[in-house]
Amino acid sequence: MSPKGRQPLAPPTWLGTLPFLAILVLWWLLPRVMQYPSYMLPPISAIVDFAWESIRDGSLLKNTAASLARLFIGFAIGMALAVPLGLAIALNRYVADMFRPVLSFLQAIAGIAWVPLTIIWFGIGNGSVIFVIANTIFFASLYNTVIGVQSIPTSLYRAVRSHGGSGFALLTNLILPGALVQLLLGVRTSMAYGWRALVASEMIAGSSGLGYMTMEAVQWQRTDVIILGMIVIGLIWMVMDRTLFTAIERRTVMRWGLLQR
Amino acid sequence: MTASVTLPRAATQPLVSRRSARVLRGAAGVLLLLVAWQLSVPLVGLSPYFYPAPSDVVASFADLIRKGILPVYFADSMGRYFAGLAAGALLGVVFGVAIGLNRTVAVTLSPLLKFLFAIVEVAWIPIFVVWFGYGLKTILLALIYVVFFPVLYNTLLGVRTAPQILVNALRSLGATRWQVLRYAILPSALPGIITGLRVGAGFAFRGLVFAEIVAAKSGIGYLIFEGTQTQQTARTIVGMIVMGLTWLAIDLCYLRPLERATIQRWGLTVDAEQRT
Repeated sequence: MSPKGRQPLAPPTWLGTLPFLAILVLWWLLPRVMQYPSYMLPPISAIVDFAWESIRDGSLLKNTAASLARLFIGFAIGMALAVPLGLAIALNRYVADMFRPVLSFLQAIAGIAWVPLTIIWFGIGNGSVIFVIANTIFFASLYNTVIGVQSIPTSLYRAVRSHGGSGFALLTNLILPGALVQLLLGVRTSMAYGWRALVASEMIAGSSGLGYMTMEAVQWQRTDVIILGMIVIGLIWMVMDRTLFTAIERRTVMRWGLLQR
Repeated sequence: MTASVTLPRAATQPLVSRRSARVLRGAAGVLLLLVAWQLSVPLVGLSPYFYPAPSDVVASFADLIRKGILPVYFADSMGRYFAGLAAGALLGVVFGVAIGLNRTVAVTLSPLLKFLFAIVEVAWIPIFVVWFGYGLKTILLALIYVVFFPVLYNTLLGVRTAPQILVNALRSLGATRWQVLRYAILPSALPGIITGLRVGAGFAFRGLVFAEIVAAKSGIGYLIFEGTQTQQTARTIVGMIVMGLTWLAIDLCYLRPLERATIQRWGLTVDAEQRT
């Protein structure tokens, strides 16, 4: 209410650890004050034990590596298909008009809804999971490529043309870099969809990986496995977000001054 | 694409015809896809279980309507979706405002929120199943979870960027805390809230289908999954088509008008268009 506290000292960052401590204390207290079957929420020690055990026998590392490998293979396939097709669509207004409704429809169902079909086509395992990720990434990136090319200002085309650039030069000097910005802006979102698609499809159609590990544990009521899986899934996403996407944004988008912040 | 766009007066005539040409080309694209699909069936030569034809899908659609299965499933899905969306958005706005108004609360909670945000809703479904069983509770919780975070973060951003000068003016005129919230902070947070809702709605739609595949006995996601389990692959494709059309309809009828009504009014359109 009074103007005195306009800019107080920034609250210390260690405050951020308090909620985690509170959760751990609550978790520790809960079985001591409430009665519930221990499979509902195993003690913290059980999760630490299981984490240690699965690190030592290599199964956690193996599942994590399997998930990440699928994610990046799916991502590479999706991008490799999306960018050329996106360029082709964007460079021709008629083709773009023709494909747009079909593509926005297919984008709306991209991802996890394909899993039942992919199980029929490829069986349980890598094929299904990679198809779903590639499919998710493909439609997100295709859309971004098309938008990216179409958002290049006409004056730039004219500038390149009037300097005698055409054909291949136009493509490499204007269209690709111009579309790249939108594509990179979209990477974070398409990976957010891709990551969910990965975990979800591993849960239904996987035979290894973090999603498979967490869902498989439901049958055996191994809540310790489920919680460890959740923590690892959260940590990996945080690391990817911090290292990959933020770095990409810094390197490219901010360099071109396109990130208003 | 947009039904109720207001055209600039001078450009009305050519724009309309260009738009109808686009619609025609779009329809041609859809038709081309359907024809290619139908023609490819004898070439592929697989059984309808592996590769059903459009005609199988149409027959299956009629069958699902006649038996009354599809309307019920559709209603179930939409009920879950909008209930989860509303609850998640409400929680996101409430927490976003509460956190945005107090820096100590913000600093305290933000690492936990970041961590929880990183554990995608998909990863929560197994433990929800252990805790609440297969059913409505698990599905609703997953939807609330996925909508909550984008709305929370965008509300937070909106509250933080509320013009301090307005807040000060209201206060000096003797406004109560509630009035400051109602007349200065919430209106300036509104575009953020809508952006968050739109992002959340997209993720929640896929989340719904996945949650229904895992934990439901009705709904579009269940239809998609059950179709292949019972060797009726055409039903799976009916489910996928209904899902896609439903999302396009939700986007066109609710999300875009909502975005137009709020974000464009504040002159942020260019930004919003580029982001979508």
